[in-house]
Amino acid sequence: MTTEATREVSVKQSEVPAAEEREQMRTVVPPVDVYENNEGVILLADMPGVPKENLDVLVDKDVLTIKGKIAKVVPDDLKPLYAEFGAAQYERAFTLGADVDVSKIDAKISKGVLRIFLPKAEEVKPRKIEIEVE
Amino acid sequence: MLRSWMMPVDPFFSDLERMRSEMERLFNLAAPVGNLRGVVRGTFPAINIGETDENVIVYIFAPGIDPDKVDLTLEKGILTLAGERDTSKDIGENPDPQGYHRRERFSGKFRRIISLPESVDPDKVSAKYSNGILTVTIGKREEEKAKKIEVAVE
Repeated sequence: MTTEATREVSVKQSEVPAAEEREQMRTVVPPVDVYENNEGVILLADMPGVPKENLDVLVDKDVLTIKGKIAKVVPDDLKPLYAEFGAAQYERAFTLGADVDVSKIDAKISKGVLRIFLPKAEEVKPRKIEIEVE
Repeated sequence: MLRSWMMPVDPFFSDLERMRSEMERLFNLAAPVGNLRGVVRGTFPAINIGETDENVIVYIFAPGIDPDKVDLTLEKGILTLAGERDTSKDIGENPDPQGYHRRERFSGKFRRIISLPESVDPDKVSAKYSNGILTVTIGKREEEKAKKIEVAVE
């Protein structure tokens, strides 16, 4: 629907942090669903283990970045037996189309699912045209 | 390529990473651990299992599920998790979207069967769901718990 589609953006190489920080930050890309209606774009991301206080949603010019750190929930004396998931945080970035009204972006996280609503600027919304009958 | 210098300290099992990737090679398992630029894929939900002296703890990464719609049973040392996730429920108060640009999140029925160590006591099970992680804690049988042995000094 939008001509300028919301696209994926990779983290720039210059932003890769130093080795010690990398140690703490095993990062994984969360799966997302992106839907659109006349009001705007809805983005849903699976980020299990991230409480509201660990969630970062940033908009820098036309790049939307979502970041979430997984809260530590394991006991200190836990010995691993089997692990399919080994990350400490989620991160993903998107390019926003020019028709997004950045000041009205709304983000919520519940049960590990992040929902972001990116409203379209008023002037861009499809308008219903009233037909007058003579 | 990235893994060789990335030995992370994270909430889950960093020291198991090497063992897991060896297992992965041996059995050609598709483990849903995402690489730095890879999307998490594989079976939904992902599972981590650990143990302490007192308990065996299973962490199930299942965001956006309704705990009432999930069947969790323990029988003869086998933990079964079955349920369904309908991702269209998460769209929220702007329903009926015109269509989707992307759909990567798992939607539909799932079932996972986990074989627990023999040391567990099926009468001591509890489960809680928080921030999308379902944590199942199963107590170990009394005689299986690691016991400290006091050393008497003569």
